Amino acid sequence: MEASDLTDHISRRFNKDLEDLRNQVLAMGGLVEQQLSLAISAIVSGDSELGLKVAEDDYKVNNFEVNIDEECGRILATRAPAAGDLRLIVAIIKTITDLERIGDEAEKIGFLASKLAAMDRPSNSYRELKTLGQHVAHMVRDAMNAFARLDVEEAWEVVREDEQVDAEYESIQRQCITFMMEDPRSIKRVMNVTWCARSLERIGDHAKNICEYVIYMVQGRDVRHTGLPEGTKSDS
Amino acid sequence: MSDAARKFLVAVLMFLAAGAAIGWLYDRPGLGLMVAALLALLWQVRQLLSFDRALRTGNFDDFRQGEGIWEQIFSRFQYENEKAKRRKLGYRQLLREVRKSTNAMPDGAIILNLENEIIACNRAAKQLASIKRKKDRGQRVDNILRDPELTRLLRANDQSLTVEIVSPIDGGQWLNCRVVPYGLDQKLLLLRDVTERIRLSKMRRDFVANASHELRSPLTVIAGYLDSLAGGDDVPADWVKPVSQMQGQAKRMRHILGDMLELSRLESAGVASAEDAVDVSRLLEDARSAFEGHADVASIVIDAEPGALLRGSGAEIETVIVNLLSNAIRFTPTEGKITLAWRVAADGADLIVTDTGEGIDAEHVPRLTERFFRVDKGRARDQGGTGLGLAIVKHVLARYEAELVINSEPGEGSEFRCHFPSDRVVVAPS
Repeated sequence: MEASDLTDHISRRFNKDLEDLRNQVLAMGGLVEQQLSLAISAIVSGDSELGLKVAEDDYKVNNFEVNIDEECGRILATRAPAAGDLRLIVAIIKTITDLERIGDEAEKIGFLASKLAAMDRPSNSYRELKTLGQHVAHMVRDAMNAFARLDVEEAWEVVREDEQVDAEYESIQRQCITFMMEDPRSIKRVMNVTWCARSLERIGDHAKNICEYVIYMVQGRDVRHTGLPEGTKSDS
Repeated sequence: MSDAARKFLVAVLMFLAAGAAIGWLYDRPGLGLMVAALLALLWQVRQLLSFDRALRTGNFDDFRQGEGIWEQIFSRFQYENEKAKRRKLGYRQLLREVRKSTNAMPDGAIILNLENEIIACNRAAKQLASIKRKKDRGQRVDNILRDPELTRLLRANDQSLTVEIVSPIDGGQWLNCRVVPYGLDQKLLLLRDVTERIRLSKMRRDFVANASHELRSPLTVIAGYLDSLAGGDDVPADWVKPVSQMQGQAKRMRHILGDMLELSRLESAGVASAEDAVDVSRLLEDARSAFEGHADVASIVIDAEPGALLRGSGAEIETVIVNLLSNAIRFTPTEGKITLAWRVAADGADLIVTDTGEGIDAEHVPRLTERFFRVDKGRARDQGGTGLGLAIVKHVLARYEAELVINSEPGEGSEFRCHFPSDRVVVAPS
């Protein structure tokens, strides 16, 4: 399916509806990306005000989800779309759920950042969280780019990247356990760091899910829980 | 009718007439005419077919033997054809030059239609914003650059508005974006890399904050010893005045450092939280009672709407009030009058400080909020004041999306009006 496929319907209204829906999902994605990057910088710079603001602003993401969901329902009921259009709607319904979860995780990170800001800071200012965070933010951005461009190649790229994020999460966890064993007084703080890392890792999973929906939308093929294709090239 | 056309007509008529004449000789003028017409037709058809062939193959050399009007038509056609070809070549060259120059531009430029769909972009846009030229044509630009700020800019349709977004490519460059409409239904989105500028201003902010912070501790030590010196009795008589002057200056320095720290905090902070509501009229009362009764203070009148609250931080609004009020007191003689007003209007609310002091010359008004700016270099410093008060006011107000309007008439007095937008104001039911 090409981007232009969306624009050859007999009914021009239908076209416009689908196009608007897609734009709204991407706008929601933009907001979620912003929330995530703000949450990460709140942790890195120890800015509790910024962290709380991120947590406060999560309602905007939720509003987007509700509106898009409603619009999808309306289109399904009134237009009875088929084939590519149906896949688009189904993919959108799933995508916004994952985007909303990413928003929730960002909210959690923002809240944890405000808590961490009040505690001792390690000498490396949470560099490991920053690296993981940037990696994950990159994945979310590429996932939304793949959605915008209907780009299967890019989507596979993100699916592959998730393994690296999982490995990074592993190592942060190990590091945290070491810290806690060395100095039990730091347990409270390090627990928060683990929660942050956990949230970031979950965001990576959600980004991967979105990419799987993109592949489904473009190729009509369900690639969930199937592992990576051989040669890591898609067979489009 | 051109010369060639006339000749052609005459030739055809003469040919037909000749045919008719020969036919008449044989007593068959009709048949003669018909044969002549047929021959003429055949000849024309031949010319037409050969012209068609020449057009199709693009090879006009075969057509050279064309005669009369056909030669004319042919050469005319060839002339126009070559002219068009030359023009096309010229355009192509021009286009190549234009494209080369737009690609050489350091700023990104993206051409959009009214739906914000990408029509074309230059190389810088491709590099700064990771736009793929072929793939993204027809895609809405805010689907690729999804920063909510950019969406706001595209909706606003305001030429003077610029927003700063983080580039989607790695490295987190800052892009300054603005939209310029052109033609009937196209817009140009300009992207400029301002990373360096933002880095420099952050460096400056950090430097000021660090320097003020570092200066504070030695100053505390100096001020502490001065205090104990002044409090003791063993200061020689001719040192009493210098010590008390040093004390005064140390106190002033502490004020300046405090203000500088406050300023750098305000500069790096974003929009103020709207969680708490502040009772402005109470803050005005507090400020009045703090200043009133001191020597050399003009009478202070309050004109406030008690039911109207302002969303924001009490401490910051207090800073604004105290700074404006202490300025007013400093420049108003004891017999003058200072009015503190808090009024609600349809488009928001105003916090107004009016005095009957000496006023400010119009030429100085735009510079009042600059750091350390003084209208009268010698005077204000003697009267205390750090020179940072109005700069702090301006930065606090920026956090509230509020505006500072200064009206002043030399000799008559001044009015400092802070206009807050309506979403910051809560009017409690009375």
